[in-house]
Amino acid sequence: MGVEMRVAVVCSSNQNRSMEAHSFLSKRGYRVRSFGTGNQVKLPGPSLDKPNIYDFNTTYDEMYKDLLRKDPELYTQNGILHMLDRNRRIKPKPERFQSCKDKFEVVITCEERVYDQLLEDMETREKDDMNPVHIINIDIQDNHEEATIGAFLICDLVSMLSESDDLDNDIDEILQDFEPRCQRTILHTVNFY
Amino acid sequence: MSAESQPTPLSTAAQFFMDEEEGSTSTYDRVVELVNQATLMQKDVQKIGNLRQVQELIVHKEPGLLDNFLEEMLAFQSDKGNEVRKFIVSFIEEACKKEPDLLGKCMPCLQVLLQDENVNVQKKTILVLPNIYRTIVWWLIKSKPGNDEEKSFVWESMKAMKNKMYELIDSENDGIRTHVVKFFEGYVLALSRKTSESEVPKGMTPEKALTLDDIPNEHKFLKLKRLEEEGAKGFDIMLRFQASPHISSINLMTVMGSITTIAKQRPDYFSKVVQAFEALQVNLPPTLAKSQVSSVRKNLKMHMLSLLRHPASQDYIPQITTLLTDLGATNSEVMKSMPKIDESRKRKAEEASAPAKKAKVEIEQEEDYLTTPFVERGTTSVIKQKPADLQHTAIDITSNDLYERLTPHNVADLVLISMVMLPETMPAHFQSTYTPIAAAGTEAQKKHMARLLATQLTTAGMGKGIREVQKQQSDTSKEDGSASPEYQPTSPKQTIQTVVGGLTAQEIEDHIISRPSMPAPMLPVKRGIKIFKLGAITQPLDRDRLDNMTASAFKRILKAEKNAAKGNALQARTKLLASLTSQFGGELKNLLQEYIFEDLRTHSDLAFAWLYQEYANCQGFCASSLGNERLSMASYDECLTRLLSGLMERPEHPTQGLFHRLLLEAPAITDNALEILRRFFVDESKVVGGMNTLKDLILTRPEHRLRFLGILLESCSHEKPEVRGVAIRVTKKLYENENLCGPIEKYAQRTLKLLLDPKPPPEIFGNLRNKEFIPDAWTEDVIKMCLYLYLGLLPCNHKLIHELAVIYTGAIADIKRTILRTLETPVKGMGMQSPELLTLVESCPKGAETLVTRVIHILTDKATPSPELVERVRDLYHKRVPDVRFLIPVLNGLTKSEVIAALSKLIKLNPIVVKEVFNRLLGHGDAAYNSPLSPVELLIALHNIDPTKCDMKTIIKATNLCFSEKNIYTQEVLAVVMKTLMEQTPIPTLFMRTVLQSLSMYPRIIGFVLNILQRLITKQVWKQKKVWEGFIRCCQRTKPQSFAVMLQLPAPQLKSVFDTCPELREPLLDHVNTFTAHQKACIPRTIMNVLEKDPEEEKRKQEEKRNIEEGQNFIMLQPHQIKLEKSDSFEPSSQFMPPPKDVTEIRTVQVLNDGNRNMDGDRQRQEAEKQRSSEEIQQDDDRRKRDDDRRKEDERRKRDEKRSTDPRRVKSDRDVMMRDVSPENTLAIAEEPMDTTDSSSRRESRRDRPRH
Repeated sequence: MGVEMRVAVVCSSNQNRSMEAHSFLSKRGYRVRSFGTGNQVKLPGPSLDKPNIYDFNTTYDEMYKDLLRKDPELYTQNGILHMLDRNRRIKPKPERFQSCKDKFEVVITCEERVYDQLLEDMETREKDDMNPVHIINIDIQDNHEEATIGAFLICDLVSMLSESDDLDNDIDEILQDFEPRCQRTILHTVNFY
Repeated sequence: MSAESQPTPLSTAAQFFMDEEEGSTSTYDRVVELVNQATLMQKDVQKIGNLRQVQELIVHKEPGLLDNFLEEMLAFQSDKGNEVRKFIVSFIEEACKKEPDLLGKCMPCLQVLLQDENVNVQKKTILVLPNIYRTIVWWLIKSKPGNDEEKSFVWESMKAMKNKMYELIDSENDGIRTHVVKFFEGYVLALSRKTSESEVPKGMTPEKALTLDDIPNEHKFLKLKRLEEEGAKGFDIMLRFQASPHISSINLMTVMGSITTIAKQRPDYFSKVVQAFEALQVNLPPTLAKSQVSSVRKNLKMHMLSLLRHPASQDYIPQITTLLTDLGATNSEVMKSMPKIDESRKRKAEEASAPAKKAKVEIEQEEDYLTTPFVERGTTSVIKQKPADLQHTAIDITSNDLYERLTPHNVADLVLISMVMLPETMPAHFQSTYTPIAAAGTEAQKKHMARLLATQLTTAGMGKGIREVQKQQSDTSKEDGSASPEYQPTSPKQTIQTVVGGLTAQEIEDHIISRPSMPAPMLPVKRGIKIFKLGAITQPLDRDRLDNMTASAFKRILKAEKNAAKGNALQARTKLLASLTSQFGGELKNLLQEYIFEDLRTHSDLAFAWLYQEYANCQGFCASSLGNERLSMASYDECLTRLLSGLMERPEHPTQGLFHRLLLEAPAITDNALEILRRFFVDESKVVGGMNTLKDLILTRPEHRLRFLGILLESCSHEKPEVRGVAIRVTKKLYENENLCGPIEKYAQRTLKLLLDPKPPPEIFGNLRNKEFIPDAWTEDVIKMCLYLYLGLLPCNHKLIHELAVIYTGAIADIKRTILRTLETPVKGMGMQSPELLTLVESCPKGAETLVTRVIHILTDKATPSPELVERVRDLYHKRVPDVRFLIPVLNGLTKSEVIAALSKLIKLNPIVVKEVFNRLLGHGDAAYNSPLSPVELLIALHNIDPTKCDMKTIIKATNLCFSEKNIYTQEVLAVVMKTLMEQTPIPTLFMRTVLQSLSMYPRIIGFVLNILQRLITKQVWKQKKVWEGFIRCCQRTKPQSFAVMLQLPAPQLKSVFDTCPELREPLLDHVNTFTAHQKACIPRTIMNVLEKDPEEEKRKQEEKRNIEEGQNFIMLQPHQIKLEKSDSFEPSSQFMPPPKDVTEIRTVQVLNDGNRNMDGDRQRQEAEKQRSSEEIQQDDDRRKRDDDRRKEDERRKRDEKRSTDPRRVKSDRDVMMRDVSPENTLAIAEEPMDTTDSSSRRESRRDRPRH
């Protein structure tokens, strides 16, 4: 593409999957941002039914300090602290896709639910100049290992997409090529700002 | 201070004032500066940054400047950067929005940008078009009357672009199609009417929300009705696009989104949209992949839900909910999205029956629950509803009809029938779309089923509903033709009544509508019908029968040539045969081939037709091959090879022409065809034709040139010389083509380099030929295989010679020999003038001396060497390789002094070479030689060779070569030589030998020789011993004529003569005695003394010797013996005796001619004198012995003479000469060659003698 492709990676809490991919992609020099679509930021707590819940205005640093205070051992062991530490070095705080007015050429979601939420949001948005945006879903389970694998896949996909001169025309084929490689169902649609 | 402070307040005020002014000027300046910078900037990003600032300044900050800078900005539309052009598109949009009067200037730019080469710019332009369209319409509505020209221009431009959109929806590019859909969305939204239920999207500005309601009824350009139709047409295009069978998933989702938006904003279209979605759900494009299907379905579901949320969905809830259930939506999801409707409305909706549409709309109007005050409802709304209703009712009617027919019996039949047509494997989209039927057999499910069937039937143009609607429509269509064309059934004329068996008749009412030009959505359905029909009534034939029938049908067509000719259908027949063969193949191919070869001349067009047809199939040009996925060349290849090999096997000559034509006109040459062509070369009689074909192929098919060239080049090293020869000739011709010379040269060099390998590498022999043939060592044939192409190219590209020299240096002896042997033709072809050859001679790589010599030889053979060549060779000789052999070829180009200088070295070479040298120097055989030396000069030069540089023997041999050239060395020439030599001092050693030789060759010159002898006396010849010896011998030879000369010698010298040749004395004395007294008186006394005294003195001496010692005699004789031995060793002659006849004959002639000086007479006188002087027996014996010796020597000399010249020729020459020469010139036999060693030994013996 003539101008660098703007990419957004979206998961629900903008913590693990989207941030992993964000970190990967920005290291490779892509113009990337990451978002969550949930109403709050949820992090695993001492048990399944007691998650740590923050709102999107809490910085990663604050979360880090909070968890460090609560139970350093547990959160070190399950890798949450490490993750937050990485996140705070990438950007100050999680962002919510719905409140972002910026435009992208490609949005990659990490979960079908997120994809649906995103489409819903797109529908309700104010239409402006009708620039197309490609929304692609790659299912990634929400754990550290899968996030890393997913980040690799996303990275692959983005590099394939960024090589195209005419994304609107090529994307179908690129995704057809990509799908057997990642061995999961890719959802894709095009939407307009 | 006060003076200073005073101006301050003033100045602040002024400053403020000025600031404002500066502000405006600086904006202007700033814009100028920014634009100028942008023009010069390299990077797109910077340019856009600047332009964006400019846009901000002139559109928003100071709109007054917009007009000023518009031109400058628009100029960027031809910028190189795609992004810059894209920016200009959005700038135009902004500018026009701000100042619609600029439209007139901007439209042409947009038109240009719409045609832009970059897709992204095109897309951007398409994107802004809806906004531009709205801007234009608003401008037309609001602007004051007048300025019609500009308005109509703008309007026409817009129309042109809109028409372009109609074309672009079929664009190749997915992205462009997507954007065109978005254009139509905006376009349709603008050209349709709002209703009370219209959803107003967020952020809608009045400008954007253009509807038909905003357009005044009476407007000059904007015709309300026309625009309405246009809008409907645009919408239809979208629907049709959505229903096209091969739509891509992106396009599909875009169009789905677009029509959903339209449905929501323009509820008039709601029913059409719902129906389109219904149709889509069961007819998803087969081309979609599994994941795409799920994406599409997800999308569909989302859109359906959002439609459901819309108040207008009220009437379509059953359809939408069933659709959603099919799409896998949960009940709660559906319920959540249900529109919140007043209970009353709901109730009424339930009460209302399906066909009561109008009433319902009116009810809605009455309810007025969503008020849009400025929309007039009522009649317009009702009218609008009508076309959509028609379609709706068609499905409704059919579905009602079907619902009643869905009895268990019918359903069971339907299931059974469809079982037959189930595909082998489950299609991907079925698998992903299948949801288990929740409530089978319930009323709701039956209704749903009936509705699904009805949808399908209606889209296929069948069913009760469609007919009824048709009837209605035929009444109403005159005034209202806006029903979408693809749903519009064709006129009754085209309907065909067919009886379709069984149960289907009940359902479909045996009414099939066939359409000549089927609109896209019909395609899958149509296929269904066809299969249904055929499957029901036909059984597949068994294979053999099928084949037989095909073959015999084909044969009938083949036989029908005459009939076809009569009916003027020959072309059609050819086409038919070709397509049948290529499509079905098998036995047909054999039949056609046989037929073609039956009569090649007339059936060749059929061969071509077949070939082309195969090709067309392979390339997928033919409709019949559309379904066939694998497009391989195999079939085409088979056809071509069949034809070619068929032609090759035919013996007749004309096949060659056809072969040639076939190869040249074939649309593609396959590898197998090339293989056949290669086989063609094996047959010598066909090589030339084959090569020409190949040549034409190379010349006419640049794309595959290298492939063909490879074959040609391979044949250049073919082991058969005939093939090779032809191939090389063709290659040479091609070599002149500059495109081809590179590869040819490379190949030639590669094969040449193979010669450096220790063993012939197998690749020489190609892959075709017999592997066993490969020899272990380089044979001459193999060497030639590698060599000939290169040598062939040499005359065309002289530069190649250097490479050859390099290879030559590195090659083994056998190869060197072959190279030298084969070099002649190419080097001759290059010629002496070739600068490259001259360079080669000049540089002469180490080890390539023999090659260079050979080259020079070839060049100078039969031609005088050019000065350049001579120059180069001379250089080489003097500076680098002082081998005199280099000079030989260019001898004729050298100067006289150079030749003379080299002569001593030249004659030392091997005799054959020396002969060659002399041939060149004497201009032998060919007039072209222009020797630097005349024969005279040559001979003189030979005489003058420094004896220290070259031994006498060699020189003598060289002179002998001269003498053997009798044609050149005539007596005149020799006379000149002798005369010249005689004048030299000292006289050359060999001089007298030459004199004697000349004399023996040309006895006639005896007078001249005597003259020379005389002159020699004056030159005191005795001072040079060797010459003196020769002199004596010459006198001996020329007696008796030489007597006069001898008498002129001073006495001591005469004595020396007699010492050497005592037998001369007596004849001389006799001769003197014949003189008159007066004559005798002239002879000095000393001479006479020598003449007369000598015998006594001799006798006395001998007596003395005998007295002293008997054995002395023996010793005294020894020198003679030695002398003989020496002469023997010098001339090892064969032992045959000379024919005595020779001598006697000469003598008789002499007697006849000159009685006075008769030799016989002399001898008689001698005998008489002998008797008179009454010598002692001892003395007599002695003399006899000497005479014997003498005779023996004479004989030997004669033998030698015979040996040195051709006896027969000499004899005949002599005979002729004897007859017509003057008496004084006649002389006896030629003298033997003189030997210096011999003479020195004789000298020794003479020296010895006085001592004894």
